[in-house]
Amino acid sequence: MSSLPNLYAAAAALLLFAPMGAAAQTKIAIGCTATSDCASAMVAADSGLFAKHGLDAKMVLIGINSNIPAAIVSDSIQIGGPTATVFLQAVDGGLDLVAIAGASVMDPIANNAVAAYARNGASLHEAKDFVGKKVGAPGIGAFLQVLFVKWLMEKGVDPKSVNFVEVTFPTQGDSLKSGAVDAVLTAEPFVTRFNAAGIGYVAAHYAAELGRTEPIISYVASRSFAEKNPEAVAAFRAAIAEGAEIVNNDRQKASESISKFTKQPLDIVKMNRPSVSAPDLKPEGFVWWLDVMKQQNMLQGTVDPTKIVLK
Amino acid sequence: MKVDARAFALPLALIVMAEIGARAHGPSDSLAPPSAIAAAFLEALSDGSLLIATRDTLASAFAGLLVGGAIGLSLGVALGAVPALNRALEAAIELTRPIPSVALVPIALVALGFGYRLEIAIVAYACVWPLLLLTRAAVAGVEPRLIEVARALRLNPLARVVKIVVPAALPRIFVAFRLAAGVALIVAVTVEIAVNPIGLGAGIMTAGQALRPELMLAYLVWIGLVGFALNALLVLAQQRLFGRAAQVAEAP
Repeated sequence: MSSLPNLYAAAAALLLFAPMGAAAQTKIAIGCTATSDCASAMVAADSGLFAKHGLDAKMVLIGINSNIPAAIVSDSIQIGGPTATVFLQAVDGGLDLVAIAGASVMDPIANNAVAAYARNGASLHEAKDFVGKKVGAPGIGAFLQVLFVKWLMEKGVDPKSVNFVEVTFPTQGDSLKSGAVDAVLTAEPFVTRFNAAGIGYVAAHYAAELGRTEPIISYVASRSFAEKNPEAVAAFRAAIAEGAEIVNNDRQKASESISKFTKQPLDIVKMNRPSVSAPDLKPEGFVWWLDVMKQQNMLQGTVDPTKIVLK
Repeated sequence: MKVDARAFALPLALIVMAEIGARAHGPSDSLAPPSAIAAAFLEALSDGSLLIATRDTLASAFAGLLVGGAIGLSLGVALGAVPALNRALEAAIELTRPIPSVALVPIALVALGFGYRLEIAIVAYACVWPLLLLTRAAVAGVEPRLIEVARALRLNPLARVVKIVVPAALPRIFVAFRLAAGVALIVAVTVEIAVNPIGLGAGIMTAGQALRPELMLAYLVWIGLVGFALNALLVLAQQRLFGRAAQVAEAP
């Protein structure tokens, strides 16, 4: 991840000189990873809400969240759903990106779905027990790990004393089982699956203990696209607002749309409530994230939250 | 290419052991028994997704191989035939060559975006080097008496390359092409796993994230089969085109 700031600087230069040919188009591609955080866009695409508002939108499944800013800059997608940490690091690196709508926010249920899950026999019950242990995170510097490090710091544990390694979600269960890691940072539906397989236990509901309500994922575009296509942005926001209504009130419909986009089996998707969709986005939502990232030396400069959310 | 039937004994034994092992291991998000992999393979084959992904990967791999191969071949012939040029470019080549093709992916993504162009560019970069190095060595190693014949016939430099040097070096150049073809497939799939949402690599990523390890492994097995078939095809072409010269080219 250390090469990202340089990449963002290069991308910023490219963005500055790139032709803005796509600016006047209302045909858009929306890139999201396979999580329920972008459920409002999945539902809007699946239910024809984008078309209803005059947008020719298609959803693109992105494998790794940190690729989203580069994909936006290259105009492969016009709108993407990066996590707050990926978005803020991209802006800090020099990319002129702007959040145009909210996708998902943390809430008690979503926070409780996040866990540091320990293997049987690891004897991890509180923050200090993680000292010297090997902890698998789906991404170093990504959402779950940043929250975990914040939790460790609040509990007075030096995060450098914990040995973090990258372990993707699908390999977490086997990594725990084989003893390759002592714990993983994970979320539902994996916690339920691990419990059912009897491979360990929840060592800490660290996100629930932090108890935050800030954005998880936001819909982000390049500033030039957003400023040159105000109608498209307005139409996108309207469709997302309607999609969010469905996500928050019709779990069956939301699950179907999520399953269709992520290709995850419907019965697995239905096991958990999707993240809360919150289309309204305020700059204040990023203030806590900026503080946390500064604390963890993830930012090089200063990011003004009022300038990264489109009015 | 003739394959000894006994060569299948070990893979078959491994498949049986994998079936027993996977079932004993219990539910997994990253492993699956071979029987489930076979079922997922048939499913992906029948719904067309596997064939579309194969088309995307092979199209990118071949296009990158052609572009990179053409550049590597031209440079290899030039550097092999003109020692002064070789000496002048030696440092530049040796400084550029160690840069892993996959390390260029983030920058290429920003510049080229998702799709064929991104993948073709990365594959082409990776394919330049085997062609360049082996062609350079093959051309430099052409029998000196053949060069003397070219001089005696008073062939101009271009005719010397086209009529004497390249035909003499062709069997070894084809070996380089075979090597590059393998590299092309590996790099294409790697780019798809890392960023590009098309092809077999993206299929692996999507299946993994969809918690379908059997489909993910079906893609993996299929990539192995595609690579095997590609190499078999090239070996066959090599034997047909060059006959005994092909064996000479492969000798250490």
